[in-house]
Amino acid sequence: MDPSPDAFAPPAAGWIPVSPRLATARRITLALEYLLVVAGGVAIALSPLATAWLIAYVVLAAVVFAWVWWLIGRRVSSFGYAERDDDLLVVSGILIRRLVIVPYGRMQMVDLSAGPLDRWLGISTVQLHTAAATTDATIPGLLPDDAIALRDRLAARGEERTSGL
Amino acid sequence: MMQPRRTSPLSPLVQAAPALPAVALFLIGPGSGIVDRTGLPLVVVIAVAAILGYAAFVAVAWLAWWRRTFWIDDDGDLRMDSGLIQRSARRLQLSRLQSVDIVAPFLARLAGLVEVRVEVAGSGESRIVLRYLTRAEADDLRARVLESARGESSAQGPESTPLAQVTAGRLLVGLLLRSVTAALLLATIVLIVMTALTQGPAGIVLVLITGGLPILSVVTEFLANYDFRVARVPEGLRIRRGLLSTQSRTIPPDRVHAVSIVSPLLWRRRDWVRVTVTIAGVQGDEVRPDVLIPVAPRAEALALVAEVLPDVDVDALEFISAPRSARWRAPLTWRSLACAITPRIIATRSGRITRRTSLAPHARVQSVRVTQGAWERRLGLASLHADVAPGPVEIAGRHLAEADVASLVRVEAERMRRARTS
Repeated sequence: MDPSPDAFAPPAAGWIPVSPRLATARRITLALEYLLVVAGGVAIALSPLATAWLIAYVVLAAVVFAWVWWLIGRRVSSFGYAERDDDLLVVSGILIRRLVIVPYGRMQMVDLSAGPLDRWLGISTVQLHTAAATTDATIPGLLPDDAIALRDRLAARGEERTSGL
Repeated sequence: MMQPRRTSPLSPLVQAAPALPAVALFLIGPGSGIVDRTGLPLVVVIAVAAILGYAAFVAVAWLAWWRRTFWIDDDGDLRMDSGLIQRSARRLQLSRLQSVDIVAPFLARLAGLVEVRVEVAGSGESRIVLRYLTRAEADDLRARVLESARGESSAQGPESTPLAQVTAGRLLVGLLLRSVTAALLLATIVLIVMTALTQGPAGIVLVLITGGLPILSVVTEFLANYDFRVARVPEGLRIRRGLLSTQSRTIPPDRVHAVSIVSPLLWRRRDWVRVTVTIAGVQGDEVRPDVLIPVAPRAEALALVAEVLPDVDVDALEFISAPRSARWRAPLTWRSLACAITPRIIATRSGRITRRTSLAPHARVQSVRVTQGAWERRLGLASLHADVAPGPVEIAGRHLAEADVASLVRVEAERMRRARTS
């Protein structure tokens, strides 16, 4: 057994990353949310407040925007999954790192979903469900063909190895 | 196998009884005020309307009772046909039986009746509640259901071996000494003293909260767990408890997914513990199936744990404890944080004031997770979580050394893989 002291060390085959389109999707969402912030700026500009306030507001909003923009990139590249012989591994997170291991035999359901924006960009999300509600195994940002293939592989392996409740 | 039957003919009366006070109120309330001034007619109208309304209510309940039949069919399924106009036929596959409960709610008990709840695994229409049967009918039905669930028609003889019993005195002392309850009661006493000394009225409201909440919880738990008895029966463990309404429930050992042994600070001198369990498919509803024993000496409680998880010796577990650096993340509890993995189970320990040891067999662990927050990473720590079915038990080995977690998670993944085939 590999005595690596890193709990998040990649398996022998390495992590498979998710599509960078996920970052695009999240950045579009961020930009849409920022419409509200822009509205706030307009409100300040129209109000009798000093211009200094408006400048401070714009600078702060821009800094936060840039930071979140950058964070999204890092968060998306932190996602990875690996299919081993008997279980699926998913890692994610930068501030809080997570690793989840789900044996194929414990899967009850594999969900494939894609919102309107996801469909437009061509990405899907695969989510695994087990009998435990706390299992948090979600792989976002998969190319649709990959997602369908992954779901079918998982479902087939799950059926092979199902051990009931 | 069994002819269709009806529930007890007294059932509609018991079901309609809670509406009686409202009817009485209508007869007395408006009548007493108006009788002198407007004369009789209005009083009579109201009274007649109330009585007619109630009669209609009883009639509907009676018709519903008449149209409701239940039986066990030749396939060994429990069937119930019901409904006045919209008929519904419900069918429970007893081979997937989870539990049969006999509950005696207060009003039903006055009429000498009980309620039977049958639950099977699966979502949706997975339970049938029969209101109400006589005690003898209920026992007979339970025997048939259990027999059908085992798929054999063995000679019945409810051989049961008593395993544990909680006396009223110990239950009461135990409930009062639970950590939160004791702390709130202590706070109440301090508040009362302070209010008396300063003669300020401000404390009164607080006293109601700090004193009221724990007393309410103690009374509720006392009523629910009064005369708690655990016995071994062929189907598993049978638990009987309750003062105002008696509940009887059977826990099949192979349905137990996780166990938690809890010892509050003030219980430790007496060496008492409480044991809660997570049972597949059943979530803590009003039946509260999650308590295996509310308070018992440690040895007695561990014997019960051994009944549901054979070959597990809780005292022989070799825990890997959190390192000293964990004191910066969990200054109060770090000494108790630990995790252990044996060939059969994963166990975690946590809590300083109320200490918990939680365990689950590898075969019941659904997935295993590692989490590491930014602060944990700085300290070289990580947390290990074993996900089990929803219930009161959480298996989490928090703030352990990262290297330990790395090897523990590998071992656990391997054990889970092997446990599946057995």
